[in-house]
Amino acid sequence: MRWKHWRFMVPLRLRSILRGWRVEQELDEELQFHLESKIEEGLARGLSPEEARRRAMRAMDGLEQRKEEARDMRRIHWLTDFLDDSKYALRGLRHAPGFTAFVVVTLALGIGMNSAIFSLVDGIILRPMPVPDHDHVVSLVSTSRDYAFDNFSYREYLDLVERSKTFEGLEASTDMQGIAFSGQPDAAPRVKGGVLVSSNFFGVLHVEPRIGRGFRADEDRVPGRDAVVVLGPAFWRQDFAGDPSVVGRHILLNGLDFTVIGVAPEAFTGTGIYDHPDFYVPLAMMARLIPDPKINFFEDRDDRELSVRGRLKPGVTVAQAREEVAVLARNLEREYPKFNKGRGASAYSEFELRMKKDEGDASVGMVLGVLALAVLLVACTNVAGLLLSRARTRSREIAVRLAIGAGRFRLIRLLLTESLILASLGGIAGIAIGYGGVRFIGQYKIPSELPMALTIQMDRRVLLFSLAATMLSALLCGLAPALQTTRLNLVNGLKSADVDVPGRKRPWGRSVLVVAQVSTSLMLLTTAYLTVRGFERLWSEHVTFAREHLLMASFDPRLVRYNEARTQQFYTNLVERVRSEPGVENATVSANYPMQEGGFDYVQFVPTGFPMPKDRESFGAIGDTVDDNYFQTLKLPLLRGRGFRSTDTSNSPRVAVVNEHFASHYWPGLDVLGKHISVVDGKEKRSDVEIVGVAPTMKYQWIAEPPTDFLYLPRAQRPVSQMTLMFRSSGDPAQLAGMLRDAVRKLDPNQPMFNVRTYEDYYRNREVEAPRMIIDLVSAMGLVGLALAIAGLYGLIAYNVNRRTREIGIRMAIGAGRWEVLRMVMKQGMVLVGIGTVLGIAMGLAAEQLLNKMFATSRVDLVAYAVVVPLLLLVTMLAAYVPARRASRIEPTRALRYE
Amino acid sequence: MSKPSGLVQGTLDLLLLKILALEPLHGWAISQRLKSVSGEVLQVSEGSLYPALHKLEQEGWITAEWKQTENNRRAKFYSLTNIGRKQLESEAANWERLSAAISMVVQLSEA
Repeated sequence: MRWKHWRFMVPLRLRSILRGWRVEQELDEELQFHLESKIEEGLARGLSPEEARRRAMRAMDGLEQRKEEARDMRRIHWLTDFLDDSKYALRGLRHAPGFTAFVVVTLALGIGMNSAIFSLVDGIILRPMPVPDHDHVVSLVSTSRDYAFDNFSYREYLDLVERSKTFEGLEASTDMQGIAFSGQPDAAPRVKGGVLVSSNFFGVLHVEPRIGRGFRADEDRVPGRDAVVVLGPAFWRQDFAGDPSVVGRHILLNGLDFTVIGVAPEAFTGTGIYDHPDFYVPLAMMARLIPDPKINFFEDRDDRELSVRGRLKPGVTVAQAREEVAVLARNLEREYPKFNKGRGASAYSEFELRMKKDEGDASVGMVLGVLALAVLLVACTNVAGLLLSRARTRSREIAVRLAIGAGRFRLIRLLLTESLILASLGGIAGIAIGYGGVRFIGQYKIPSELPMALTIQMDRRVLLFSLAATMLSALLCGLAPALQTTRLNLVNGLKSADVDVPGRKRPWGRSVLVVAQVSTSLMLLTTAYLTVRGFERLWSEHVTFAREHLLMASFDPRLVRYNEARTQQFYTNLVERVRSEPGVENATVSANYPMQEGGFDYVQFVPTGFPMPKDRESFGAIGDTVDDNYFQTLKLPLLRGRGFRSTDTSNSPRVAVVNEHFASHYWPGLDVLGKHISVVDGKEKRSDVEIVGVAPTMKYQWIAEPPTDFLYLPRAQRPVSQMTLMFRSSGDPAQLAGMLRDAVRKLDPNQPMFNVRTYEDYYRNREVEAPRMIIDLVSAMGLVGLALAIAGLYGLIAYNVNRRTREIGIRMAIGAGRWEVLRMVMKQGMVLVGIGTVLGIAMGLAAEQLLNKMFATSRVDLVAYAVVVPLLLLVTMLAAYVPARRASRIEPTRALRYE
Repeated sequence: MSKPSGLVQGTLDLLLLKILALEPLHGWAISQRLKSVSGEVLQVSEGSLYPALHKLEQEGWITAEWKQTENNRRAKFYSLTNIGRKQLESEAANWERLSAAISMVVQLSEA
């Protein structure tokens, strides 16, 4: 059927279906009219009325047959048949409530798990950017030896805009920044998340502000001139009560007066999957909004702060754009060797970028997705097994149907209808289970004061996915039984209710299903065990410091327009004041706090005397800027050397503390104390830094990160403006929050303070709860998988015992003992379990590769198999034992009378 | 479906479309018209007429309407739709090509 005909077809077909009786009537009337006309014609030719009628009927070849043909022409029989099949199937299911309930619950578990996991995977990887035609938007990245997903500098962005030809437009935006906001001049500022964007940001993304307007091109041209702001939808609703007359209002951002010119539409939560910015301001405001004397954002070619995205011209592919961008990067490398040596560029679709850049998220998503599908597979094989035994008890009925002329295809459809109905019921119940899962996952909140959220919801995408999973299960669990049952030998089928004839090969279908179940659930269990053990190992083994009794709070005095000297003086005063408070043991400030999500400084350096590879000029490592109380306050003992002292000032020789990984990386087997590195301090400037201490290698950003190089630099020698205060109390640190507030107010009542919380609270949220959620999900899937496999094996053995009752009776009558019967029945089950176990170990080893990616290790944990395999064997043996025992209790006399 | 005797498969559609292109008719009249215009050569089984009409209707090529006949009886009148007209054009063109090709072949074999 051609598509353009559909607007005719659909109403016609619908009429045929919905008004069936009416169509029938019309058909009757039409044929009657023809018949009568024919009879009249006969009469006119002088025939007798009887003869005329007889001839007319003959000319029509029988009315009923014609009607049937006409009905076929309306092509609705597939639907009326489907309705009939459904009625029939429903009637059958009503008569088997236990079977139906079991199947529905099984499928609901499988589908529900998948819905919940899909919502999570959608929330961290899959959900597309909320802009129209998002598949034409690509992200550009700058690539260097050390990092393949770097940003661009403002100058580089301008060059790309001017030279590229594959894009309709290129926009640039900074990462989300903490910016002090106050609605009224006298209100105390609060920290909000803002993004600086190029003026064409909304235009390139095809986002139309819901109120007011986006940025004009000239508002991004003159640095610092146009203080205009577009509000994000959630911020507008919460802080402006959704007031539509907000356009034209003045607000203060970092103490500067901005005019609201528009509000972004509800659907546009931002370009990132986690970040939902509160507002957008033009890039041209960068230097005024966030002054930094050390850099010139508009001129420095190596101040790479911008994410660049472009909308492809129609007909241009991502690959073409990637090629062009690479060429442009090579040209830049030639023109500006000082800044761009060894630097390339590439372009990715949003999805590709997330998969490559956020490897951690991608591997978590992959692990969970694979496991969820495995659970669905186990559920479907279970149901398929049940349907098989059910269909085989119906083999006589099916044989009768075949014998009286039902087509095989027609019967397969009948049986598939039944599984479709079961799957639909399971799907509905599954969505309810999935909703519970979504609520469970949705409890997790990203610990951040900025508007970042993991959006987990039962939305249209999740529902569509559940629908697809339901259809897939209907096919998976229905097709094999339908095919096998309809391939009957008619004669045998009619003769007895159970078609197994001595000598005929037993159907292997169910055995395959049990093997698949056992192996898959072994894989699920192994994965669950490995996940739990993996995180527990990380929790217990990773070097850490005394996390308890620490309170933290972050500051950025730039937000209230402090200059560098005043900023540093503020921190000195803050630490001194807090330390002198009663109940405070020690206090420190650092640019980052341990396990902070991102935001660590990337320090470039050359180890003195280290043979540099020819093609690179420096190495890089993440680092932190800390004050001289840092190691004492955190109770993080150094392995060798010393920490920072008050004598390490901006005028004294520069010093650094490195971690052990760093030390053995560049000076393996040597004493690193007293070695020097030359730190790249921006353009042209290198500073000689002496290593004075070695700290243990910790986890710095995420509990499952691989061991990494890290270095600490003293605040006095590398001042930064945004820092976090951490202080150690003798009692409950949470009770000192009021003291802290007072202390800060005394220093500067306008100083915004954010992220005030105990460190333990932060650590739990980020390093315990997130892994805990993964553990819970994986364990739930492992247990469901195991339960289903047990049910499947039990079902198979019980069914076989039932079927072989008579045979067992004969065996026992001619002298077989109970023990032999028990062994015979058990053997059948355990052979399948054995095959399943071997396959399952292989699958487990494959899954371990995926998990190792998540845990950033490469070890093979044999203990897992030593624990899981015996457990599985024990449980499955029990599942086989119960029906086998029943078989051994069969009374020969009764068994022989069976049937 | 029983095939109309002596008719090349698929040509019944063409004939029906062509007849209905002239004027809307009911089933009985169509069968009469078929006989008379083809000089009684094309005998369409009256029974197979209706399935064919219903098929054309489902394809959207013709549409049906209940109307009074000249002797005041209710009958279902079929008429051609716009896409039916296009279908007729393309089928007619096909037919011309086919028949031209066949007659060429036939003449060849006689020469």
